[in-house]
Amino acid sequence: MTVVAITVFVIAYVLIATEWTHKLLAVLGAAGVLFALGVTDSEHAFYSPDTGIDWNVVFLLFGMMVIVGVLRRTGVFEYVAIWAAKRAKGSPLRIMILLTLITAAASAFLDNVTTVLLLAPVTLLVCDRLGIDPVPFLIAEVMASNIGGAATLIGDPPNIIIGSKSGLTFNDFLLNLTPLVVIELVVFCLVLPWLFKGSFAVDPERVNDVMRLNEREAIEDRTLLIKSGVVLLFVFVGFVGRSFLGIEPSIVALLGAGVLVLISKVPTRHYMAAVEWQTLLFFAGLFVMVGALVKTGVIANLADRLGSVISGHALLATMLILVVSAVLSGVIDNIPYVATMSPVVLELTKGIADPGQAHALWWALAIGADFGGNATAVGASANVVVIGLALRAGSPISFWAFTRKGVVMTAITILVAAPYLWLRYFAFS
Amino acid sequence: MAEDFPVVGLDDDARQAVELLASHRLPGLIVTQADGSPCCVLPASQVVRFLVPSYVQDDPSLARVIDESLADRVADKLAGLTVRKLLPDEPREIPVVNHDDTILEIAAVMARLRSPLVVVMRDRHILGAVTASRLLELAVTPH
Repeated sequence: MTVVAITVFVIAYVLIATEWTHKLLAVLGAAGVLFALGVTDSEHAFYSPDTGIDWNVVFLLFGMMVIVGVLRRTGVFEYVAIWAAKRAKGSPLRIMILLTLITAAASAFLDNVTTVLLLAPVTLLVCDRLGIDPVPFLIAEVMASNIGGAATLIGDPPNIIIGSKSGLTFNDFLLNLTPLVVIELVVFCLVLPWLFKGSFAVDPERVNDVMRLNEREAIEDRTLLIKSGVVLLFVFVGFVGRSFLGIEPSIVALLGAGVLVLISKVPTRHYMAAVEWQTLLFFAGLFVMVGALVKTGVIANLADRLGSVISGHALLATMLILVVSAVLSGVIDNIPYVATMSPVVLELTKGIADPGQAHALWWALAIGADFGGNATAVGASANVVVIGLALRAGSPISFWAFTRKGVVMTAITILVAAPYLWLRYFAFS
Repeated sequence: MAEDFPVVGLDDDARQAVELLASHRLPGLIVTQADGSPCCVLPASQVVRFLVPSYVQDDPSLARVIDESLADRVADKLAGLTVRKLLPDEPREIPVVNHDDTILEIAAVMARLRSPLVVVMRDRHILGAVTASRLLELAVTPH
């Protein structure tokens, strides 16, 4: 059974990485084979938190997707982006910095793909008005989205998986990763003029075209905006107050989605259109696949071997996880990577006595996987989405045009993250 | 059944082609190759789609934030372009019928290809076109 589980897993991974088939087909096909050959069963796949589908992850994603489906109809993102462009008085560099900060902040609370889908059209509009190339702006935004998504438990799907597997709360992410993300964003903003040198020249006459955009028109329904804002606030309080409320983030998101749907009266087809069923099914298939590895003892075995190599050196383990995660997440989808590594890291943390240092392994996994997504054009789903939008707008972004900047930015973010982890969890402990 | 219909070449000026569409309120244009054979039908709705920036198509709420004077310049995009650039990226089947086809045969082609007009051919020559409104006129006129 162990050999079958490994073989099916490797074939599915190759299919996902090479995109020879659709990734959903790869994981569901793999799950089907595992069921058919008796490697796993319904008891393990559907009812076991260790060897089966992590319903907390699936329903947290579902709830947030419904909330976003309503929220995007408010026009608030368009309002804020245009407002920022006008406050920047048409200066391309200032616009880039403000848009990247808005993107990063939004990504901390929304799925990265949704964030770039909301902000890329406004960016194209602003660049069109200024008569400048939108490509550097789009690349900067998607990078900011991948960085900002690392800030919270709900910011990026890998974080949701890590939160569920490790038991780390929304507040743990807020206290440990948000400060790092803030530092990374400061560095990112400082690097932008150098990274996109020569992209900020603008005809002064075109600046007036931006100043004439009317951001107030973006908000069509103020009541919906207020209702969405209030519900989002309660959802946020629910996430933060998990320790005294005792409610799982998935339940908070589902309750928030339910209340928002009821009070907003948005037609069902509109908010349900925002639910990415393929993504949810992908997660389910992935959990069955990885669960089979846990059930057959492959993960425990792998963790044992890694544990003996690392032999209690938490700092070495943290740095290894950070770097390897960043490199691999640039090449393969970081969601299956984190889903596979989470049980491994869970086993590794059991051999580390200091809980702070044990948590550092989880933070390294989250940071490496989230920031590593910036390395190549296919490193994260948001990158692929932005490249598609740019192509449709007549400003294609080639794989290498993205990757040249992406590799540099990933290296910088990891170089900043490594001393942060060392200083915070090891140097003074 | 076929009516005379304006024809433009693939490499004709896009702006002039659109002016032709606009001045005659046409539902579309027949586009021909250099040898005069039909290449495709360019529906007026495709021209509108071309003129509307992709970011507005992705996020229609952005249409509201652009003021009238900026929106009026939308046709500036046609400057220096040829008809070829206005066509959809994916080549589509040419809606062609024979001069002796029945109304139902013409309607079937029009419905299947969702085209606002069909090109009527005789011996590899374009006779003219039948528009959707002309077809409906023929369909409801008592015989």
